[in-house]
Formats: sequence, structure tokens, C-alpha cells
Amino acid sequence: MRYTFIVLAIFLNFISNIAFAQGVIEGKVFDNNTHELLRGVYVIYKNQGTITDQNGSFLLKSDTGKVNIIFRFIGYKPVTKTANVGSGDTIKLDIGLDMDILEIGQIVISANKTEQRVAELTVSMDVLKSKDFLNTHITDAQELITKTPGIEVMDGQASIRGGSGFSYGVGSRVLALLDGLPVISSDAGNIKWEFLPLENISQIEIIKGASSVLYGSSALNGVINFRTADATNIPVTRFFAETGIYGKPADKNWIWTQTPLIFSDLSYSHLQKVGKTDVGIGINLSNNDGYRKYNNEKLARVSVRLKHHNFVVKGLSYGVNINSGYTAKRDFILWNNAATGALIQDTSTVSLLHGSFLDIDPYIAFDNNGPLKHDLRIRFQLADNRFPVRKDKNSDAFSLYAEYQLNYRLSDIFTVISGISESYNKILSHFYGDHQEINIAGFAQLEASLIPGLKMVAGVRLEQNTLDGEHDKIVPVFRTGINWQAAEYTFIRGSFGQGYRYPSIAEKFASTTLGSIKIFPNPYVKPESGWNSEIGIKQGVLMGKTKGQADLSFFFSQSKDMIEFLFGSYPDQITGNYDFGFQAANIEQSRVYGYELEFLLSRSLAGFNTTLSGGYTYIYPVQYNQVTHKNTDTYLKYRRKHSLKISLGSSYKKFDAGLDLFVKSKILNIDDVFLNELTRESILPGFYDYWLHDNKAYMVLDGNVGYQVSRLLNLSLAVKNITNTEYMGRPGDIQPQRNYSLRLSGAF
Amino acid sequence: MKNLVLLLIISGCFYLASCKKDSQSENFKFLTGPTWASDSLLANGVDASGPDGILKNFKGDAKFNKDYTGTFGVYTGTWRFAFDETELVISTDSLPIPVTTKIVELNSISLKVTTIYPNPQGVPTNIRMTFKAK
Repeated sequence: MRYTFIVLAIFLNFISNIAFAQGVIEGKVFDNNTHELLRGVYVIYKNQGTITDQNGSFLLKSDTGKVNIIFRFIGYKPVTKTANVGSGDTIKLDIGLDMDILEIGQIVISANKTEQRVAELTVSMDVLKSKDFLNTHITDAQELITKTPGIEVMDGQASIRGGSGFSYGVGSRVLALLDGLPVISSDAGNIKWEFLPLENISQIEIIKGASSVLYGSSALNGVINFRTADATNIPVTRFFAETGIYGKPADKNWIWTQTPLIFSDLSYSHLQKVGKTDVGIGINLSNNDGYRKYNNEKLARVSVRLKHHNFVVKGLSYGVNINSGYTAKRDFILWNNAATGALIQDTSTVSLLHGSFLDIDPYIAFDNNGPLKHDLRIRFQLADNRFPVRKDKNSDAFSLYAEYQLNYRLSDIFTVISGISESYNKILSHFYGDHQEINIAGFAQLEASLIPGLKMVAGVRLEQNTLDGEHDKIVPVFRTGINWQAAEYTFIRGSFGQGYRYPSIAEKFASTTLGSIKIFPNPYVKPESGWNSEIGIKQGVLMGKTKGQADLSFFFSQSKDMIEFLFGSYPDQITGNYDFGFQAANIEQSRVYGYELEFLLSRSLAGFNTTLSGGYTYIYPVQYNQVTHKNTDTYLKYRRKHSLKISLGSSYKKFDAGLDLFVKSKILNIDDVFLNELTRESILPGFYDYWLHDNKAYMVLDGNVGYQVSRLLNLSLAVKNITNTEYMGRPGDIQPQRNYSLRLSGAF
Repeated sequence: MKNLVLLLIISGCFYLASCKKDSQSENFKFLTGPTWASDSLLANGVDASGPDGILKNFKGDAKFNKDYTGTFGVYTGTWRFAFDETELVISTDSLPIPVTTKIVELNSISLKVTTIYPNPQGVPTNIRMTFKAK
């Protein structure tokens, strides 16, 4: 019996050693460069772990045997260490982490329709994060984009690196995407900036250059992809309430009211996982009295995201995104006069618009980390414009867009991305007439990584447009590019890409009168086309506690048959009578030479987290003769040679502050109609003298300060145009004077 | 799908290989071929090519160059077709606005265009200009 007890005791001890054999791993984590101990580092073992304390120390229990421990800390490269742990052992593991440059490691999707590090792209791309515009009280996507280096949005029309001018609000050479699907209006071919859901954006990716191979028509000058945020394991709710007031304009003669001009904004978003379903909702309500008479807006947006991960089939997900909006606004078209009425709209062009927008995007995707990825996305889009006074301008547009994409990893070296797309647009309008448009396209792109650090890409697209039953010829476009990682933080790139754009319905068929301006249709206007090339280098910066990146690129673009609205005397095609007015025509052959330098540096020192960023863009935009291929001495219209942005932001404990400086040179050239003795006074009274004296370089300074009131709430004040600079976008479009806004925001 | 990819790439290459520069239209060849001499310049049916006529500056030769520049009487500027080549537009710094004309006849020996110059304050002017190849 005694032996039995001893044997049992030994057996139980053995079993307990097997079943509960554990060791302890402890140590400290420090910065390899400064040897400063790091607090808050994630120390992960299997599916659990701990974080380091204020002394950089950690302690965790582990199984015996070979154990892998992962150390992760934001701003540092992750490290995996292996330890041999015996039963009852205490292993000492001190780890040094190397800082990483997050900016060059950002994951983006737009450049090649697949996830990639931004440093490894063959084209130039800017990435804007939501914090970039939350701190600065930017609530309008148009304002956000125009404040990005190298981009100017002129009364709604975006131009990247001088690739586009201003064509009276119709036709866009920059394609706006919402989660990868186009959001260009079917009739005017413009971007509906007000309906883009900034309240729930994870990041905005801007491709600077022709991207028609992957995105088709309108991506002639670039792409702006607004990517909405996915739900994470932790539910997140964000909101803000903001109100602001416009100050007095710099020119006292332009003061048109003593009543305070107020703008206010309410924003709410919530992201949460419910079982296997990701749920997101966003709401935005705003009211803007405007700083100009007869130019104001009330806006409401609602967006819903539902994404379900299938229980049974690993990698299968499906869902629907819904975006909707309603606006009641008066757009500003022509000023009353330069002397006293530059901020008063000419009553002949005042028109109240009620516009609504709805898109419903169902999708299904399969990605199980195997060689094949499938993605089918559909967008139903409805938009209408209602003019209570000018009912003849009412329009309804319906569009259906569908795209299937297949990513096929042929080997470790080659990957093919291919797809087919179809879009159908139907427009019902007195203004444009009733029209139907069908576009069918297929694309394929081969990516190759022949040796480590070298990536090459080449792609082709075929596309055909059919308008009212008439087929355009099939358009082929090509692109190619290369990226070489020359050193750990040095990436050299080069690319060539073609682009084209079919004319919008408005450019072909708009027939109306706006105040004193008559618009003539031109159904024979042809597609625009062009190409661009660039070489660039992206250099990561890591100097002590300072890290960031710099990007230098040299670019050239050439386009032909660019569509402009030209003033002249045109015949009415029905009556045969001639009258003065505007008509779209393929008139401009353009070249843009330039370079761009962008940088971002951040540093943490003595509790201050400081970021300095910005960019300088130089362009030489000129017309060329399409026969002789020689440049003329005529500048392209609505371009500026120089633009500079510098931003400085810093936070310390509960405080944060930021300054944004914008400098732009004068507009080089504008439409003759604004300068011509015969026409200038009847269209924009006083503009000619204003142009002569006030078309010059300008500087605008924005600033903001914030204070963390509690764990959840933040109070911030922003002052835009601190210097109260008077400056102009397109002719007659004076930009906002100094304005102040107060915001209470929260996240929990 | 693999076949679709190959088809796209191959058809794209074939399409590219088959592409050639846009051939010039017949109207382009007619217009840019000869030097044109003004034949009749009428305003409201009356000769307007005299010293006091509103079309006096169009009197003489007109040459439409292949690079879309040209000389039109005393004017120097640019020209282009519009509206599916049914219209001819002439722009010069000397004219306040571009002149858009309807092409009535264009062949190897004759060019006839018409236009109406609007007059917001009064009666518009009907213009007809004919040219003969030299």
C-alpha cells in the first residue's frame, strides 16, 4: 500500500508537470537608438499577452519548450523572439526595438486595385487620413482636396499638377471614387463633393496621374478614392458639433450685411462588429449661411455599411453600402460687380436647387489568402436636381455600374489583376434632353517581382462607349511602371500611363441661358486623351527621434483635344439664328512639365509630439501645336506655376495646435471672354480691372487649437484665413474671408 | 478568366499595332490644299469688300495651313472645323470674337461660307463669303 502511494504520488507529480509545466519570461523593452525604456509595448504570446509598464518591464507565463514572443509598438518595427523555456524556468529577455517609418509602410489599394505599401507604387500617391481634416475643422471634401499639395479644386473642378483647368463646372478629368466605385454624376460629369461621407472615412488615396487603365474614362488626370472605415473589434463612436461665423471681408466695400453669417455642422459615426457582421453608420447635418449673398446651403447625409463574413466558407464576405444625401442650395455663378458687389450674386443667375442623391452598393468578395481573389461590386445610383423657379433645368439621372475583378497570383513572381465593367446611365432632363449611355470595358494588368526589391507593372484596357445607340470606337489604353527599392528606406519609381475621357452629357447637349450667358450644344464634341510619365524617389527619414519621408518627382503630361467652352457667335441649329454664347469644343492641346517635393517629418520630444509636413509643386503648363508638335507661347488656362503648403502640428498632454500655410502664384491665363472688350463688362462687371490689379500670388494661413476636456471630449477652435487674405479661384469666385469655428468632438 | 486576360492583352496589342495616325478628312485636304482668293464678300447681300465695307479685311488671299494656322486677308490667326466639319471657325487677335461660319460649299476649287453677325441692339448682319482656288 505504501509503495502504491509513492508510485501514485510520483505519477501525479509527473502528470502535473506535463499538464501544467510553465515557465516565466520577463524583461524590458527599450529603444535601440536612445536606449529609452518603452511603455505600452504589446508583448504577444499565442493569442494572449501583456503590455510593458512605465519601466518598460513585462512578465508573462508561457508553456515549456520553444516559445515565440512578438513585440509590437506603434512607430517601431515588430520583433519576434524565440526562447527555450523549461518547466519552472524564468527566462530573461531584454529587447531593443528599432523605429519604423510608418508613412512609407502605409497600405493603399487604389494604385493597382490591390493592397500595397505606398512606397512600392510606381506612381505618385498622396494619402490623407481622417485626422488630417478633423483637427482642421474641414467638413467639405472639396476644401480638403484643394488644400492638398499639387491639387487645386476650382469651383468644384479638380486639377492635379495642372492637368486640368476650369470648364464651368461640367466634365471632370479627375475621377472620384467611393470605396473604389465611381461617383461622377451621370449628366454633368462632375464630382458631387457634398455627398462624400467624410464622417466615416478611413483614408483618401489620391493618384497623381492618368489612371484610365484601371479606372477608365475621367481618370485622365488622376483618381481620388474615398475609402470608408471598417468596423474593428472594439466599437467606435465619433461625433462632433461645430458652429462658426464669417468675419468681415478685407475690402470694406464688399460688406453686404451686418447680420452674422453662421455655419454649423453635426456629425456622427459608429462602427461595430455584431457577430460576423461589420456595421457602420454615418450621419452629417450642416447649414451654411454662406459668406456671399444668394449663396447658401443646407445639407444632410446618411451612410450605412453592412459587411458579413460567411460562417461556412472561409474568405467569403458580402454586404451593402448605402450613401444618401439631400441638399438645398444656391450656387454662386456670377458676381454683381467688382466695386461693391463681389460677394453678391447677380440676381439673373440666382437659382435655388433641391438635389438628392442615393447610391446602393451591394458586393461579394472571396479572398482566402489563396492564389485567387474574386470581387464583384455593383452600384445603383439615383440623383435628381429640382429647381423650384427654373423647372426647365430639372433633371433625373439613374446609373448602374457593375465591376468584376479577379486577382490571380500565378507564382511568387507574377500576379495578374483583371476585370470587366459595365455602366449604364439614363438621364431625363429638359436641360440636356433625354439620353442613355452604356460603357463596357475590360482590363488586365500583370505585376512582376523578378528580383527582391524590384516591382514592375504593365496593363491594358479596352473600352467602348455607346451614347443613344451610337457606338464610339473602342479605346485601348496602356500603362507601365517600375519601382526599385534601392536601400532600406529608398524607393525609386518610374511610370507611364495613358488616359482618356468621354465628353459628359452636359458638354454635348446642354442648351440653356444662365443670366446673360447662353450655352449652345455641340453633339460632335470628341473624347479627350492624353498620357503622363514621371520619375520619382521616395526616401524614408530616420534620424534619432525624428522620422518621416520625403518624395521628389519629375513629371510630364500631354493631352489632346481637351474640351473647353468657347465664347463666340454660334448658330441655333433649329432656327439658324446666330447669337453670342458658349459652346464646348475640342480646342486645347496641352503639355505640363513640372516637379513636386513633398515631405512629412514627426518627432516626439519632452512630451511634445510634433509633425511638420508639406509640399511644393512647380508646373510649366503650355499649349502645343498638334501638327508641328512644338510648344506655343500660350499658357494653359486656370493654372498657377507655383503652389506651396506647409503644415505644423503639435500636441502636448491635453493640448494640440496646428498651423497650415498655403502660398499660390497668380493664375497664368483665363478665357478671353473675361478680358475681351466686347464681352467682359456684360458678363462680370468690373472684373477686367480686378484681374489686372488683383491677379497675383497670395498666402493664406489657417490655425487651430484643441484641448482634451475629458477622456472622451475634445474642444477645439479653428481660424481659417487668419490673415484675411482676399484671393480668387475662377473668375469672379472670391474665396472665403477669415472665419472662426468652435467644435466639441468626442470618440469612445 | 485566364483566357479573357490573354484575349485582352493580345487584342490590345493587335489594336495598337493596327493603329495609325488619324487620316485627314477630305474637307481638310480641300481647305488646306490651295491658296484661296476672295471672290465675293457680301453683307446683307451687298458688296462689303470696299474701303468702308465691314469685310474689307478679308479681301485678298486666304491660306489655311495644315498646322491650323493661317492668313485670312489681312488677318493672321488660327482656324478649325467644328460641328462635324459643317462649320469653319476663324480666330485672330484682331477680331473681338472668333468667327463661326457655316460651310456651304467646299471642294478643290470653291469655298463658300455664310454667317450672321448678331447685333443685340439692332438688325443682325448676314454675311456670305466666297473664295476660289488660285
